[in-house]
Amino acid sequence: MKKLLIFVLCMFMATAALAADNALLEKAKAEGKVSFYANMTAIQPIMDAFNAQTGLKGKYTRISTSKFLPTVLTEFQAGKLMADVLQAPLPVMEMLKAKGVLTPYKSPAAAGYPDWTRKDDAIQVFGIEYVALIYNRDLVKPADVPKRYEDLTDPKWKNKIVMANPATHATTIAWLVGLKENVFKSEADWMKFLKGLAANRPMFVKSFGPTPAPIESGEKLIGISMPKYIITKAPAPLDWARVSQPLLGTPRGIALSSSAKHPNAARLFMNYWLSRKAMGMLAKNVGEYVLAPGVFPPINGIDKAKVIPIRTLSDKEIRSWGARFKQIFSAS
Amino acid sequence: MGNRKSLLTPVLIVIVGFLTVCPVIMLVFGSFSTGLGTFGQFTLEKYIQAYTDPELAGIITNTIVFVLGSSAVATGLALLLVYLNTRTDIPFKFLFRIISIIPMMIPHILFSVSWVLLLNPSNGLINLFLRQVLGLENAAVNIYSLWGMILVEGLLDLPIAYLILAPAMASFDVALEESSRVCGGSTLRTLFRVTLPVLRPAILAAFILSLVRSLASFAVPSVIGMPGRIYVLATHIYQSIATGFAADYGKAAAIGMSVLVTSITLIYLYRYLTSESEKYVTISSRGYRPTVIRLKRARYPLFGVVGILSLVLIVLPVLVLFYTSLVPYSMVPSMKAFSMMSWKHWIEVIHDPISILSLKNSVFLGVVGATLGITLSVFVAYAIVKVRSHASGILESLSFLSFSFPGIVIGVGFMWFFVRTPLYATIWALLIGYIATYLPYGVRPLTSAFIQVHSHLEESSQVCGAGAFTTMRRIVIPLLIPGIVSGWILMATMFVRELTLSVVLSRPGTEVLAVQIFRFAEDGLWGQLSALGIMMIFISTTLVILATLVGIRFKPMEESG
Repeated sequence: MKKLLIFVLCMFMATAALAADNALLEKAKAEGKVSFYANMTAIQPIMDAFNAQTGLKGKYTRISTSKFLPTVLTEFQAGKLMADVLQAPLPVMEMLKAKGVLTPYKSPAAAGYPDWTRKDDAIQVFGIEYVALIYNRDLVKPADVPKRYEDLTDPKWKNKIVMANPATHATTIAWLVGLKENVFKSEADWMKFLKGLAANRPMFVKSFGPTPAPIESGEKLIGISMPKYIITKAPAPLDWARVSQPLLGTPRGIALSSSAKHPNAARLFMNYWLSRKAMGMLAKNVGEYVLAPGVFPPINGIDKAKVIPIRTLSDKEIRSWGARFKQIFSAS
Repeated sequence: MGNRKSLLTPVLIVIVGFLTVCPVIMLVFGSFSTGLGTFGQFTLEKYIQAYTDPELAGIITNTIVFVLGSSAVATGLALLLVYLNTRTDIPFKFLFRIISIIPMMIPHILFSVSWVLLLNPSNGLINLFLRQVLGLENAAVNIYSLWGMILVEGLLDLPIAYLILAPAMASFDVALEESSRVCGGSTLRTLFRVTLPVLRPAILAAFILSLVRSLASFAVPSVIGMPGRIYVLATHIYQSIATGFAADYGKAAAIGMSVLVTSITLIYLYRYLTSESEKYVTISSRGYRPTVIRLKRARYPLFGVVGILSLVLIVLPVLVLFYTSLVPYSMVPSMKAFSMMSWKHWIEVIHDPISILSLKNSVFLGVVGATLGITLSVFVAYAIVKVRSHASGILESLSFLSFSFPGIVIGVGFMWFFVRTPLYATIWALLIGYIATYLPYGVRPLTSAFIQVHSHLEESSQVCGAGAFTTMRRIVIPLLIPGIVSGWILMATMFVRELTLSVVLSRPGTEVLAVQIFRFAEDGLWGQLSALGIMMIFISTTLVILATLVGIRFKPMEESG
């Protein structure tokens, strides 16, 4: 019965959204195109599908996270921001909002999303950059796979772990802090975990990008990495450890630019982006964890995992935790 | 003529200054202003933070060892290869030339990753092999060390050193060596007492350019240094930018200023060390043609040694790259790996419209950029060597300005500058940025070539009634062909694989190869990355072969290999 109710509700919302979209579509068509800045990968298929459905040309610029803020702010301050719609990790979006780059918009397509994703009047959260323990299933016996995060401190993992540098990589720093606030019962437990992990001498790399390769090749056996690689790197023997605790990640947000040259096309695009169809493509093609209800990446068991967002840490906090982690990890 | 000469330098200072000073000025503003932009309130905070960091001392020590070591490896190896290639009768010469230029064509990040696959302590291929052969318990070599960094960076800078030394060695006046031998000096003695000292400007130029390059290098410190927890200035700057979401390039620029000052000092030092340039003139009015030294019995053993060296150092990493492009994911070679090989990654790349567009853009930037760049370089090198006034010293420093800034910072400097011009987000911004940043690649080989051309040659031409332009075209340029070819190759291959500026300046429609490769790297897609990387090597190889052929056509009387 409950399922039926949700279905009817979804259908109703979809119809309402469609009607609103039709009016918007006409205005958007007059503008002709839309420009989208994002830090994510594999967006082109969505741009193509958007083009096929609406006839509008979508232009997508990918900017890496570390250059996102400087690039957008430089263009914005010079009056040359070319983006109509922007997508980035939530902390970046919040900083952009504080600088006046974003404009309020409540997309009707976000109606079915969890309440916490719709709190901001400009930024809509649509996914979580989720982090998990990723291991080589050819080389790690099922019995050895960690069942809790603490299992990673077992000396059997010494010199067998890869992770992004906890002194500098913002997402990893936020993840470690997230464990303290959401997973471990006490700060002492958390500190014990950190020290145990440090004692296992994990190999540090620059960011998440280089984490899966050493696990695939067997240079390392396990890593703090992202489940989406199970999809993007298939048929690599990667799997994720089904820990009994929740998975954590930094929320991803999307919003409209306050200086959009194609404001209606921008709204239309954001609605499309948040649709089940577009989110389904993100989940299916690149294993993203999206928040459109009922849409999951095709990774075994991930639909049952509890994935929770990490609160936004200020850059000051990230730097001070980074310095702290640097001490802890270099003491080993 | 005197007037024209004195006018040339100021005009060049204006052009080169415009190209290189603008982004650096933006960075200076950025380093002194609050917030993330260029024109905030004045502050010294960024400098204070940057230079009171207690870890800085250790990082500087690492950096000094790293840059001196890798430059020594690059210059030493280049000298050996150039000497054997140009001056001896070692067989299969063309192979050496190609091999010493290959690292220039490979994206540095790929070359570093290949070395990690070969020499990582857990399952590096060479380590696995040595473990079996020698029956060791632990890995014989650990790439994640300062030594590993020096080796790989040294190999990456080898082409720069090679391409600067080759023209100088090619235009060496044989009379000097003959005199030495007439006086009873052995071949070795002649080499150490005559040949090498005469080549000092070129050797120093190669060494200093490698120093400056390794100071700004980021790929090796991040792929090899970071896992070994060895930090140098480039990774230190990266950390200060990357920790947190709001990257503060102003602070990075503040650290970068010390790199800039070091580089400029090195350039003045170089100028001072080669100030009596007359000493090094080797092509005067008499006929010259370097003699070939017969290696006799040492011919094949030496070939064997250099052959194995090249195989291990350069061919093997390229093979690893090719292998990576065929296997579905990162795997150690095994029966399973070979059975899973396919062209999947290649097909994906060929069907990716952005990859194809980036191929086209990069070829355009390589060919047009290098041609414009080398034209400017001829004039700049001429002013630096032949005018040698105080102003030409300024010109020389200017030509190095954006080059010596750490890559990750200078890109942002260019963005801050170009956003104020209509060139922003066009391919011309990339073109101008490339030429401005990599001007030394054109200027250096040409200055070391110019140094060896005696002014008597020009004077004779002028006495016979030829104007300055005719003298340049008929006398000077033909003598410079090896330098021009070297410079063009350095610039073209650099532009084809340029990342640091491109990643900031490229936009939809102006995508270039390295940016596409970088995106594959960010997504951990090593297969596609290797496939596109090999296509990039193929393009660069074609450009190198074309340039060499053009060089031979215009100057059939001598060719360095």
